[in-house]
This record gives sequence, structure tokens and C-alpha cells, in this order.
Amino acid sequence: MFETREIFRNFSLWMEVIFYLVAFASIGVFLYGFWRRYQKYRRGRPVERFNQLGRRFIKALGIMAKNSTVFKRDPYAGAAHWMIFWGFVVLFIGTCIVALDHDFLEPVFQYRLLKGTFYRWYSVFLDAAGVLFIAGLLMMIFRRGAMKLPQLDYQRVDRSAGAYDRKGYALDDKIFLWLLLLVAISGFFIEGFRIAVDRQTADLSFEKWSPAGWALAGLSDALGLTASGNALHLSLWWLHGIMVVCFVAYIPFSKAMHMLADYANLMFKDEMAARRLPGVTEEQMKTGMGYRKIEDFTWKELLDFDACTKCGRCHVACPARASGAPLSPRDLILDLRSYADSTIGVKELFTQNLSNGPKSAGKEILVAGDVIRQDTLWSCTTCMACVEACPVGIEHLTSIVQLRRTLVDKGKMEDSLQDVLANIGDYGNSFGQPERARAKWTQGLDFQIKDVRKEQAEFLWFVGDFASFDARMQEMTRKVARIFQHIGLDFGLMYEGEKNAGNDVRRIGEEGLFEMLVEDNLAAMSKAKFRQIVTTDPHSFNTLKNEYPEFGSTYPVFHYTGLLCKLLDQGKLTFSKKLSHYKVTYHDPCYLGRYNGETEAPRKLLRALGVEFHEMKRCGANSFCCGAGGGRIWMDDSKLEKRPSEQRIEEALEIEGVNLFIVACPKDYAMYSDAVKTSGNEGKIAVKDIIELVQEAL
Amino acid sequence: MNIIVSIKQVPDLVEELEIAASGKELNREWLKYKINEFDDHALEEALCLKETLGATVTVIALDGEDIDKVLFTAAAKEADKLVKVTGVGDNPSSHEAAKALAGVISGMPCDLILTGVQAADDRDGQLGVLLAHYLGVPHVSVVTGVSVAGNTATVHKEYGGGVIAEFEVSLPAVLGIQAARQTPRYVPVARVRQAMRAATIDEVGGNTGGVSAGTSISRMFKPESGAGAQMLEGAPADIAAKIVGIIREKGIKV
Repeated sequence: MFETREIFRNFSLWMEVIFYLVAFASIGVFLYGFWRRYQKYRRGRPVERFNQLGRRFIKALGIMAKNSTVFKRDPYAGAAHWMIFWGFVVLFIGTCIVALDHDFLEPVFQYRLLKGTFYRWYSVFLDAAGVLFIAGLLMMIFRRGAMKLPQLDYQRVDRSAGAYDRKGYALDDKIFLWLLLLVAISGFFIEGFRIAVDRQTADLSFEKWSPAGWALAGLSDALGLTASGNALHLSLWWLHGIMVVCFVAYIPFSKAMHMLADYANLMFKDEMAARRLPGVTEEQMKTGMGYRKIEDFTWKELLDFDACTKCGRCHVACPARASGAPLSPRDLILDLRSYADSTIGVKELFTQNLSNGPKSAGKEILVAGDVIRQDTLWSCTTCMACVEACPVGIEHLTSIVQLRRTLVDKGKMEDSLQDVLANIGDYGNSFGQPERARAKWTQGLDFQIKDVRKEQAEFLWFVGDFASFDARMQEMTRKVARIFQHIGLDFGLMYEGEKNAGNDVRRIGEEGLFEMLVEDNLAAMSKAKFRQIVTTDPHSFNTLKNEYPEFGSTYPVFHYTGLLCKLLDQGKLTFSKKLSHYKVTYHDPCYLGRYNGETEAPRKLLRALGVEFHEMKRCGANSFCCGAGGGRIWMDDSKLEKRPSEQRIEEALEIEGVNLFIVACPKDYAMYSDAVKTSGNEGKIAVKDIIELVQEAL
Repeated sequence: MNIIVSIKQVPDLVEELEIAASGKELNREWLKYKINEFDDHALEEALCLKETLGATVTVIALDGEDIDKVLFTAAAKEADKLVKVTGVGDNPSSHEAAKALAGVISGMPCDLILTGVQAADDRDGQLGVLLAHYLGVPHVSVVTGVSVAGNTATVHKEYGGGVIAEFEVSLPAVLGIQAARQTPRYVPVARVRQAMRAATIDEVGGNTGGVSAGTSISRMFKPESGAGAQMLEGAPADIAAKIVGIIREKGIKV
């Protein structure tokens, strides 16, 4: 006799046979559900995500082990999830060891692993994991039940209360947590009763290495339950076993699937998602762009829909949702999931019911417009907050733009947006101004800026539409020019050779126009003489840096904050004054901070300028969009309850005494100058571009 | 149903217009052209009729600078046939254009002929009227609504002062379109590029038959600026009172 525990204690043979039959049946159900999911993804279009598989595998493993994406900005959820995750993993491994021992090593080699020292360590590890597991689950149950978090509210923003039913989701949430909790608790009690009964007849002091079980054995003695301990043990064992077996079968049909789908989704994630959008194929050009039917989505996008755990982080991060627009990235993904399921004739167990779901009326159902409403798709500001916030690597934005491409293809858009696209097509700018008026702003300068089409310069300054044409911005643009001149930067313009860079055109979904703009800009650049690009516009910065290379561009691209920061380091930019009388906050432009990770350069400049600097609650990669991106600036925002830009100004005003709102994007300057007025905060806070502070401090 | 839409290009007013040295016409050297906005509405109405009733839409235009692109754009919007009338010469008057177009259209099957009610560079805005005349079919102008049942079209014609009249016209007929039922649709660049590769333009020789232009230009000049505006100054209430005073002074009873 050695130190161990008996597997299938007090079992008769028929019991053991029944248990194995049930267990295999549940594994069968699991495999069936898994196969069905696999069939679902197989219908998707191919997309290259198997490159660098080893690197992908290890990176996703790291994220999963640390739970880093769950911890991000939510340490409570992160800690609870970490406990559940590691608790589950250790308990799962423990169960596998039992299976290995009992079903393989013992019958084949007459050897037992679970004995002696190994058994002691095994016991203590598993007990600790069980406690961790239960604590994590209780934290999550408390979070869901009592914390009233907005991200866990299933209320929709695009439908009235009676037009949908999401009780299935809520039930799934409850089953998932409570089932696991009961499995864990019953497991401990089984251990407790076993120890309590067996230590009456044998020396079980080594079982103190199962501290939770030992304690529960004490409890059993104290409550006088040990007398009927064997019966309690056996019935609890069956309850525990059946629950575990049910859980295994439940996995592929429920949110428990996230344990598998989310690892895969993180592994196959595109690191450049949203930053660099997919192009269209020749075939799509012919048959109509974008996504019409569910098979148009890539398998990764179909996996995205299933990966969603409804954690609601995108739901609360989304500026469209926050301003009362009919878009929630979470609901968009869940609606696509429901639709994808319905097209393969699968009725999911825990799903939502939409009373006014897609209607066909004899016509082909289009995903864009029928499944996902047109106004929902047009509400997106492409700020990327959803993609950034998502802990499981869902690429909402790519799907949104693909669906917008179908809307553009069908001409389903606001007249104002249509006019802007026509203007960009006709004149290369969104303002409908003649091409040769692009550099008109230079007329107010007392020096001539080089024309890189005629003479060599180190930097091409890609000015962008807003800085070139918007009357409110032109003086700012001249300030940038004077500073570049003052610090001796060797720069030039393409003058009327520059066209809209196309960042927002692409995100509107007008891919053909985007390609035309890229071709025109790159043709003009190839004839010009310069080595690097600097731009004042974060939107242009993003596409020039991340998307133009796919069309052959090899120029290094800087945002002016990054370039000025570099010149500051090199001692080429020096300030003669400290602006310590300003109390400022800084708004990270989506396309600079979130899209391109450039959050440090503007802050470094502000530190060098000597201003008193305070962060807003949401800053850096978590910045809150002004509402202008993705073509929203050309659409009607009068239906919004409260514009994102106004919400942001109020967020800045929460900081005691802040009187300057610093931006680094021409669109931001226009949006926030307006928002200060429309929110009635004129006089309390002023909007300035960082370049204005630089000019003051020179 | 066969619908023919006659379209043309006009100078793009985004660019500043210059008058040629002759003083009788525009300096066309740097001009950009775009489709006449009313013709774009005529095309849109035709496409809407096609969607609701089913029709073959043929777009016809006289040859001119960049006209192919406009025709291909129409094809991208799902017009079925493109016809380019050649040999008419540059910038014909509406009289000459109507004669040449009528010559080509008379040989084509057609139930409805839609064209823009006027164009920015028309001298007399008579294209629709003359086209109907040469084809010997009825004509309604300033049309804002079209519906077709059998061999009859019911059309809305707009008059001044917000008055609208409803006409019944037997087909074939020429309609001068003021506004389509919806904003002319946007056509994505990819579709235009695709149409440029896939669609074909039928070229047909045209003949103006020696008709006169109807009018001739003796001088072209830019609008002369007036004497300037009088700026009212003072507090808003004072300004309002002054405005009321001026309105009374001009003889309007308020």
C-alpha cells in the first residue's frame, strides 16, 4: 500500500462502464460541434494567415499565458480571468494525469504515477488550482451580477427594447460560470468525504497535502456527515462526473468555445489589421466589390464572429455607440455570427432572436444593408478603438469597410458623401476646389517653398486636403511652413501634383478611387526629387506609411511631431522660452496614437516646451475619437445625441484648471474648435495645435 | 421599352472661365468638362425607369472632348448602349445638335427620349423642343416626375411659383428633365474602369443638314460688378429696424 487515492472508488464494474460510455458520448458531441464549426469556417474565402506560423503560435501562447489582453485596462477582469484560466489549465492537466495513470500506465505497465511524493505535490497543486478557480469564478459572478457594468449590458443601440431577445446570451453566461463553479465545489466535497471516511480506517495523514480536502473532511466530521460519507461521496461523484461530461459537450455550442476559438483567433490575427486594409481582386472589381453574402467573408472573419465573448470592451470604447449612433461593434459582430449560423441552417443553443431580422422579399439578401443596417455601417468613424480594445483579436474594422464597399458599389450613401467622393475623383481634393488652388495657402508666406517636382529637397511635405484648403487651417499650415523654414529643414511641396492621400476614401469603401489616388500620387512622387516624406495629417500619415508600400512606395514617412522630436534630440530644434504658464492636455489623434503607436513624440515636445501637462482619462492608444474619421466628417452628425468631440472636450474639462486642448491633426483642430463652441465651453478652454506652442517657444 | 438619353459635356465651373481673344467665345484651352447636371438627372430618371419597369437605356452624345469617359460612366451606371455621333464639329448650337441627334435617333427603336432641360452653355435651351420637332413627336419640358403605363407617360412639369402640372403624353415623346426622382447615383471608380474595358461605344456619323444656329454671339463678357453693398452697422435691434425701414421704403407693406 502506498500513498495515493483510489480512482473509481466504490465503483462496481457496470458503473465504470456506464461512465466511460457517457464520457465517450460527450466527447462525440464535442467533436461533432467542433467539426460543424470547422465546416463553417471552411466556407470562408482564403486569406494568408499561415505565414510565420511558429512565431504566431508562440506569440498567442504568450498572450494567453499572461492573459495580457484581458488585463489591459481592466485589472479586475484580468485577475479573475487569470485565476479561472490557470485554475482550469492545472485541473485539466490533473485530470489528464489521472486518465494517463488509470487508463494507460496501470493497465499496460502495471505502474502508477500518482503515488508518494509526486502524489503529494499533485494534491497540493490541484487543491490550490481549485481554490484559485473558485475564487476567479466568484469574482466573475459578482462582476456580472452586482457591478452593473455598461459593457455587460446587452441592450442594443439600434433596436427598440421589444425588437430583440437576448435571453439566450444571459442564460449562457450563467450556465458557463455556475456549471464550472459547481464542478469545482463538488470536486472538493468529493475529496473531503473520501478523506473523512477513509481516515477512520487508515493512516491518511499524507492527505494533509490536499489542504482543502482535509479541511472539508473536518467539516464533514463536525457536521456528523461522515457516517453517511460513502453514499454522499458516490452521489456527489456522479453529480460531478455528469456535470463535467455535460460541460465537455457544451463547449462547441456555447461561449465556452472561446477557450479554443480565441486562441486560434489571436494566433491568426493580422498585426496590421485596420492599419492596412485588404485590397480587392480583379474578380471583385468585375462582380462588384465588398461582401454581399456570407461566403464573401474570409475564414478568419468567420472565426472572428465566433471568437466574441461579448465582453463589451468594444461596445464601451466605440465613439459611435457613445454618441447615440446605431452602431455597436459588439452587436455588429454578434449579428454577423447569428446570420452566419442561420445560413448554414444551424440553430445555435444560446443565441439572440431578432424579430426584424434580414428580409429577402424575393431578392438576394445582402449582408450590407439587409443583415447589417446601412446607417450602422455608415456610423463607424474607423477610429480602431474596437480592434484595439478587443482582447481576442477580432478585426471589426476590416469587416465594416468590406461591407461599406458593397454600399458604395450600390451607391447607398448620403448625398453629401457622394459629392465629396465625386469631388475627390474630379479634382483630387474633398473640397471641390480646382487642383491648382491646392498650394494657394503659400501665398501668405514671405518666402518661396521648393517645388520638389523641379528641385531637390530632403523632405516632401505632404500637406493633405484639410491643411491645404480649409480656411480655418491655412494659417496653421503657414505656421508649420515658417517653423520648418526657421529650423532649416530642407523641404518642398508637390504643389498641385499632390492629391488626397486616400486614407479616408479607402475607409469609406471606395477602393477604386483609393487606387486611383495612390497611382496618381505615386506617379507624381516618382517624378519628384526628395528622399523622405513628412506630413501634418495623421490620416495621410497612416496610408502613406502603411498602405502605399503595397503599391510600391519606399519612402520613410514622418508625422511632423515625430520629425520635430527627432530634430529636438539632434539639437536642431531649440526653444528659447518655457511655456510654463499653460496648463494643457493632449488629445492623441486615432491615426497617430492608436493606429501608429506614436504617443511619445508629442508628449516629449510638450515636456520640452515646459507646459504643465495633464493626461485625460483616456489617452495614448486608448484615446477617444473626435468623430471625423472614415468619412464621418462628410456625413450628417445632427442625429447624434452628443457628438464625440463634445464629449471629449468635457473629458478635458474634468481636469482642474486645464485651459488648453492640444491637438496634432488638422481635422482635430477643426472638430474641437467647433466642439468648444457647440458645447458652450468657449472661454473655458481653447484648442491649439502643438505647432502653435512650438512657434511661441522658439 | 427603349429609352434614349441625350447627354453632353459643359465647362466645369470650378475653374475660372476665361474669354478668348475674339471676345465671342470661351478660351477653351484649359477648360475642364463635366456632364451637364440636367443631363445627369435625365440619365438617372432613365435608370430609375429601367429598374422599375424594365427598359433598354441608350445614351447618345455628340463627339467632343472627354466624351468617351462620360459615356463609359453611364455604362458603369448600367446604361445598356452607348452611341457617339461624330462629324458634327466642335461646340454646335442646340439647333445643330438637335438636327444631328434627330437624324441618328430616328433610325433607332425608341419610346422615350430624355434630355436635360437645359445646359449652362446653351444659348436658347431648345434642344429638347427641336429634337421633338425634327422627330415629329410630342414634347414636355421642365419635367420633375415621369411614370409610364402602356403607351402613355404621365409627367409632372414644373411652373414658376411652385405650381406643378400633370400631363399625359403619348409615346414616343421627348422630355426635358429638370430633376430626377432621386439624386443622380454615385458610380464607383472601379465600375467606371471596368466599363472602359468592357463596354463599347457605337460611332455613328451625324449630319446637321445645314440648319442655322438660331442665334449668333456678338460679344461675350463677364458680369459687371454693381455699385456695391451698403453695410448696416449698430446693435442687432438697430440693424433690424433699419432693414424694416428699407423694406418699407421699397414699397412693401409690413
